[in-house]
Amino acid sequence: MTGQPPILRAENVDQSYGDVSVLEDVSLTIEPGEVTALIGPNGAGKSTLIGVLTGLLEPTDGAVHYNGPETARPIGYLPQHPEFRPDFTVQETLSFYASLVGDDETEALDHLEQVGLEDAADRNVEALSGGMTRLVGIAQATIGDPPVVVLDEPGSGLDPGMSLHVYDVAGSITETGAAVLLSSHDLALVERNADRVVLIDEGQIKETGTPAEICRRLEADSLFDAFEASTVAEAGTVRVQGDTA
Amino acid sequence: MSGETGRGDGMAAGTAEEAAVSVDTDARITPDASHLLRTIFARELRTVVRTRTFLLLGFALTAVLLGAAWVGGGLGAGYVATTVDLLTPLELLVPIVAVAFGYRAVLGDERRGELDVLETYPVKAWQIVVGVYLGRAVGLIAAVLVPLGFVGGAIALSDTDASPIYATHGGADSPILFVRLIVLAILFALVVLAVAIAISAVASAARSALALAVVALVVLLVGLDLLLVYGLSTGFLAETSLLHALALSPLSAFRGLVLESVVVVAAGTGPETAAPIASIAGLLVWGLASLAVATWSVGRP
Repeated sequence: MTGQPPILRAENVDQSYGDVSVLEDVSLTIEPGEVTALIGPNGAGKSTLIGVLTGLLEPTDGAVHYNGPETARPIGYLPQHPEFRPDFTVQETLSFYASLVGDDETEALDHLEQVGLEDAADRNVEALSGGMTRLVGIAQATIGDPPVVVLDEPGSGLDPGMSLHVYDVAGSITETGAAVLLSSHDLALVERNADRVVLIDEGQIKETGTPAEICRRLEADSLFDAFEASTVAEAGTVRVQGDTA
Repeated sequence: MSGETGRGDGMAAGTAEEAAVSVDTDARITPDASHLLRTIFARELRTVVRTRTFLLLGFALTAVLLGAAWVGGGLGAGYVATTVDLLTPLELLVPIVAVAFGYRAVLGDERRGELDVLETYPVKAWQIVVGVYLGRAVGLIAAVLVPLGFVGGAIALSDTDASPIYATHGGADSPILFVRLIVLAILFALVVLAVAIAISAVASAARSALALAVVALVVLLVGLDLLLVYGLSTGFLAETSLLHALALSPLSAFRGLVLESVVVVAAGTGPETAAPIASIAGLLVWGLASLAVATWSVGRP
């Protein structure tokens, strides 16, 4: 905890598409200097909430308040399925984004180094593996040193070591006081590495707190048990918002 | 100080009673609009240069135009005769090439999720659209200019003033008239490119973009002209207003401008074929309106 007020705050956010309500009365805070993990079953509304928090989606109701320093890029964002324009090298791609915040190629490469991918700088983006593409996406998300970095499933498709590395990167970002919000299905890694957890299900926040607090509250031995105890979907099924409302 | 971020529609600054959170990183100052525009333009231009399809289109257009000029006999007859030979091929091919350059320009970024990522940078929708348009426009100008330049060069090398029709007006035939054709063809191409960029921004999938592009081509190449003919036949359009009405159709505007500023001028006489100012204004309105549609589409939540 940094003793500072929340850097991002969602208040009573609703998000619906026609009759289908995806988020209902969601309120949460993102604290500076912390890694906040957003967990929940498939279709729970995680990506929609991320879209609202990053400003990509306009909430149907409610508001999101950013309370960080004024800078060219307040929020960095890694999409769930990052892709880049073909026929460009990794270095060219990151330099393009860096130029949009007034940075140069050297600073772009610093971000690549931060994710441990500096050896791939001259490789074309379409020649990267899925995991490497995701790491380039994380480097992109940190360009401009945004005070809030939002990563939509950054560990997806990565081997265990690389997934852990993603959390190390997230941790290093928070050392500056920046906040990291990431969504994940890897509950073991979340339990070990996240400072706070937000559990969402059926478009509503079910639990928030440190992993230990959530486990204690739900009398669960692990975050996985807590997840099972607080989500309504049966194992192996996906809740589809709107169809069961 | 708290700031508005992203697209900002649902994002507000922190409340007044809260002090802004401090972060130990260098705050960046948003680059000026011209820097952002140059950055997007440069990436687009690199994409055009690296896309072999565009190079092939340029070669194909060169071959077709040279072939049409040679088969039509215009090469030996002069610039105006060649302009007449090339007018119909240009009316058909320039829109096709322009649409090929533009119909996936914005859609590609949208499909890859890069538009979402760009929205977290301090770049506005109009800067994306204009940067993309200018980058593609440079490639398109080259794709139209080079083939017509080759044709112009071929005329210069083979012009024998052999045409019995144009020999009587030999003094009127001039490379400057052919330059006018090139300028008008480029203007026409740029307008269709703007339409294609708008389609690219509005479409949600490559298939729908292609379908929309085909529809746009049909409307531009046939539909608007047919509408004008229908208007005339039903009396909705008076014959006296026909020249100005032609300006509503980009194709008719282009055709009229070429006939008016190249062919009729060389002939020294002939019927009025266009209202030049209205035609140019019509083309500009089509281009600017299309870019406005693209900007609206890129900027919408």
